Amino acid sequence: MRESMRMVIVLTVIAMVSAGVLSQVYNVTSVIIAENRAREMESTVYELFADAASVEFIEADFVMFRAKDGDGTTVGFAYASEAGGYAGPVRVMVGVGSDTMEIVNVAVLQHTETPGLGSQIEDEGFRSQFQGKSADSPITIGQDIDNITGATVSAEAVARAVRRNFSDAIAAFEGGQ
Amino acid sequence: MADAKRDLLRGLWEDNPVFRLLIGLCPALGVTTTATYGVAMGLATSFVLICSSALISVLKHLIPAKVRIPSFIIIIATFVTIVDLSMNAALPELHRMLGMFIPLIVVNCLVLGRAEAYASKMPVGFAILDAVGMGLGFTWALGILGGVRELLGTGRLFEIQILGDFFTPWGIMTAPAGAFISLGFLVAIMNLISARMKKTS
Repeated sequence: MRESMRMVIVLTVIAMVSAGVLSQVYNVTSVIIAENRAREMESTVYELFADAASVEFIEADFVMFRAKDGDGTTVGFAYASEAGGYAGPVRVMVGVGSDTMEIVNVAVLQHTETPGLGSQIEDEGFRSQFQGKSADSPITIGQDIDNITGATVSAEAVARAVRRNFSDAIAAFEGGQ
Repeated sequence: MADAKRDLLRGLWEDNPVFRLLIGLCPALGVTTTATYGVAMGLATSFVLICSSALISVLKHLIPAKVRIPSFIIIIATFVTIVDLSMNAALPELHRMLGMFIPLIVVNCLVLGRAEAYASKMPVGFAILDAVGMGLGFTWALGILGGVRELLGTGRLFEIQILGDFFTPWGIMTAPAGAFISLGFLVAIMNLISARMKKTS
């Protein structure tokens, strides 16, 4: 009886100390991580629009940016979105051209999918399939987007994330003009 | 004193985790596409290994034998999460590239293996020496493996172009198959050198 009590106490104490330490580390690092994320999202907009010279924040329920070229003309907008993947959230940034309201490109900001399988959602070959899709396109794996062999859940997460905020993003973009 | 020196050096050559014990191979094969990733992964694992070995050695008499494995896992997982969060804050680029492999240090059998086989039985000083040796051994092994793959696969080393235009990169070296091929050759070379050293001594 004494031994089993000791086991319970030792495990509980170790777990509590661990939780306490980790919450402190999280408090310190989460601020820096959030800053890094915001900077990363902004720089992703420049990657999505080759001719973007400046980026502005757009008010929406999710993170959204307007991209302008050197003359100050709006070239398009980008919206952030996410969906549950195989091993955690898949966060994407979608660039939409303002002249056609079609997707120019999709960037995967963060994921924790299986290396070698689900991680192929980062590949240009997969992401480029979203180019030219509009809010009316199905944007569904197996219809207008090809699957990734062995990584259906990861591929579907990207498609779901792209679909999710598309119409709301267009509404927010047009409302802000 | 001779014992302490042996503890430190063992992991570097004689019992090198990757080339001699063949443990911790999942990250060794998975992240070593470049020398930088290999070294970074090695250092992250070393930090976890040294901290958890030291703490486990200190707590060894307090932890009842029946719950030692869950206790070790919690301690190791705590340090892994600290590495994961700090790396995400300080080096986001590197953290993105190493991705899933950082949280997976928890299940690296090198870390639990040293805790179970060594740190839980030895005084703190020796446990730390052993962990430093094993960690550095793991780091140089991953660095070499990453270096070979990066050099042959892309013609670069630590992301600096080394080989000129005459060299056609062997694409397979950066693919998973290249990891197995490189590891096989490196283990063979290590065995050859060890055999030579034994013969001359």
